[in-house]
Amino acid sequence: MIKLENIRKTYRTQSVETLALDNINLEVGPGEFVSVMGPSGCGKSTLLNIIGLLDEPDQGLLQLEGNLITGYPDKKTARLRNRMVGFIFQSFHLIKELNVYDNVELPLIYRKMPAGERKKRVIEALEQVSLSNRMHHYPSQLSGGQCQRTAIARALAGKPAIILADEPTGNLDSTVGKEVMNILTDLNKSGTTIVMVTHDELLAKATHRIIRLFDGRLVG
Amino acid sequence: MFKNYLRTFWKIASQNRLFTFLSLFGISLTIMFVMILSMTVNKVVKGSGPEKNLKHILTTGRLKVRTQEKGGNEVFSQIERYVGEDYLKKIKSAEHISMFYSYTWEFLRNGIQYTTGFMVTDAEFWEVFDFEFVQGKPYTNDDLRTQTNLAVITEGLKEMFFGDVDTVLGKTIRFHDYLLTVWGVVKDVPPTSQNLLSGLFFPYALFPAEKPNPRSFSPYSGPYTIAFKANSRKEFSAIRRDVQSVIQRIDAADPKLALVLAGPNTQMENLLAVHDPEDQEGPSAKSRKYLLWGTIFLLLPIVNLMALNFARIRERGEEIAIRKSFGASSATLRSQFIFENILLTLIGGLLGVLLSFLVVALLGNTLSIPVKAGTTVPMSFSFDFLVFGIALGVCLLFGLLSGVLPAIRMARMKPVKYLKGGEI
Ligand SMILES: Nc1ncnc2c1ncn2[C@@H]1O[C@H](COP(=O)(O)OP(=O)(O)OP(=O)(O)O)[C@@H](O)[C@H]1O
Ligand SMILES: [Mg+2]
Repeated sequence: MIKLENIRKTYRTQSVETLALDNINLEVGPGEFVSVMGPSGCGKSTLLNIIGLLDEPDQGLLQLEGNLITGYPDKKTARLRNRMVGFIFQSFHLIKELNVYDNVELPLIYRKMPAGERKKRVIEALEQVSLSNRMHHYPSQLSGGQCQRTAIARALAGKPAIILADEPTGNLDSTVGKEVMNILTDLNKSGTTIVMVTHDELLAKATHRIIRLFDGRLVG
Repeated sequence: MFKNYLRTFWKIASQNRLFTFLSLFGISLTIMFVMILSMTVNKVVKGSGPEKNLKHILTTGRLKVRTQEKGGNEVFSQIERYVGEDYLKKIKSAEHISMFYSYTWEFLRNGIQYTTGFMVTDAEFWEVFDFEFVQGKPYTNDDLRTQTNLAVITEGLKEMFFGDVDTVLGKTIRFHDYLLTVWGVVKDVPPTSQNLLSGLFFPYALFPAEKPNPRSFSPYSGPYTIAFKANSRKEFSAIRRDVQSVIQRIDAADPKLALVLAGPNTQMENLLAVHDPEDQEGPSAKSRKYLLWGTIFLLLPIVNLMALNFARIRERGEEIAIRKSFGASSATLRSQFIFENILLTLIGGLLGVLLSFLVVALLGNTLSIPVKAGTTVPMSFSFDFLVFGIALGVCLLFGLLSGVLPAIRMARMKPVKYLKGGEI
């Protein structure tokens, strides 16, 4: 499903050069639920961004669903992001000017999909996260947990094969965090591959496999 | 997609009221100004009064006469009577040719001082310009052969002189030492008819033709403007050529003096050159100057809006990053932003059009635009597709110019920069 070979990523600012990922080799099979752990700054987000084609590695090979990603032409990566991956972020990243419904519809907008079909999918996704009763609310009118559920609905509305979640429970208290985790677990059971960054050992234990990163390298 | 752009536009615009307000404010004020200006210019150029067919009329500009040697004297004026009668009126390429001049006329009536204009014309004047006669008729060359003290007056002047009477034909009006017989009454000339602003019209045949004064500097310089009416604009170049060749002929025959005549010009060319008649530049240089100023004037709000848009890039960074994460390509985002900007400017433009109507309706008489030294035009409605087209064009230009660069910049942004985790 996801395959990384010798992936390397450095960030350069005027003065310093940070090696964010160093020679990463990783394979995630279809239907797997993998958690990524490690101290702050070890490169977890960078890893997710590279898998999700939001960032380009300096070196190495990346395969998604058997497609080798070469070059990063804008149109093509946009299309792949749209079809293959759904992102969930720690700070939700909902568009504040749009209500829940419009936010969830976002990935479907960038496909040529008839309006009726889009509506069906949005409602379906909202039902999956039990938010159909908040459709017309704006992000500012929602609790943190509701925001994250909206974000999850958005990530799954396009029915991507892979969900990339970067500390999805990081901004939520533990009970709400558990709810979110349950939704992800259900989603995984229905076949979606999930890679989740977390600092929570308990949540990580509930996944199939834990990957540990330290200073840009895989350990353990 | 289009519908979605529209929805997004509405949501973003209605939730960022300050930005929306500031943008609309700038655009609508500019468009209002453009509208009022073009309404006025449109009236003057197309003609709103008796000069209905101004489109087909060329009029002579200034005549410059100077001594042949360098650093000699020169004089700017119009054309002397005999130059018009003996040379310019004989040109074959124009359908009708008229010569005339105008001055202001101050007179006392019942203890009140009035100021209006008077025009001294030939009989062809009435063929070149379409005055609407309420009473009587124009004086013709036949009329003038038997009697030269004839006058056509406007309804306004008739009021002034005779009050509220039915017919004034055959009555007399005193103009300095002359007693003129009223031959016709025409509708008042609107102030936008800048060349014809006058209350009294009478034939120049009233004054005997004089030999040019041999002691004067230029025997060619006089007060007359010559108007050429063509069947269509296609004939303009032929008329221009003929006029210039006549002037060259006179010029060549005179060893001492050199003649340069501006034009004959269309109304637009005249309008653009009127402000500084002593200026040696021709209308084309003038128009270039106006165009430059106009561009600068329009550039200001465009740059302003562009700055607003650039400032918003950072603000919309997160939105852009999110859209990209879920599959928007840079090209899609670019067209979305350009679309939003054009829509915004069009709405601003529409507001500007409405504002201009409001301003004209409320302040039309107070506000006026100078079109010629001493002549101002009170504004009034003259909405037509040309004016609307100009406003629309300016709007689109606005939207494009102020939107494209920020949109390109915005769409190029790397999403990771705005998708940092952490606290919100
Ligand atoms: N855009 C960037 N420019 C420069 N350095 C960067 C950039 N993004 C990340 N880094 C650096 O790369 C390293 C890895 O960052 P990354 O965000 O992947 O860490 P992380 O493991 O997700 O940390 P956290 O747990 O705090 O989210 C860090 O040292 C960070 O400072
Ligand atoms: Mg991180």
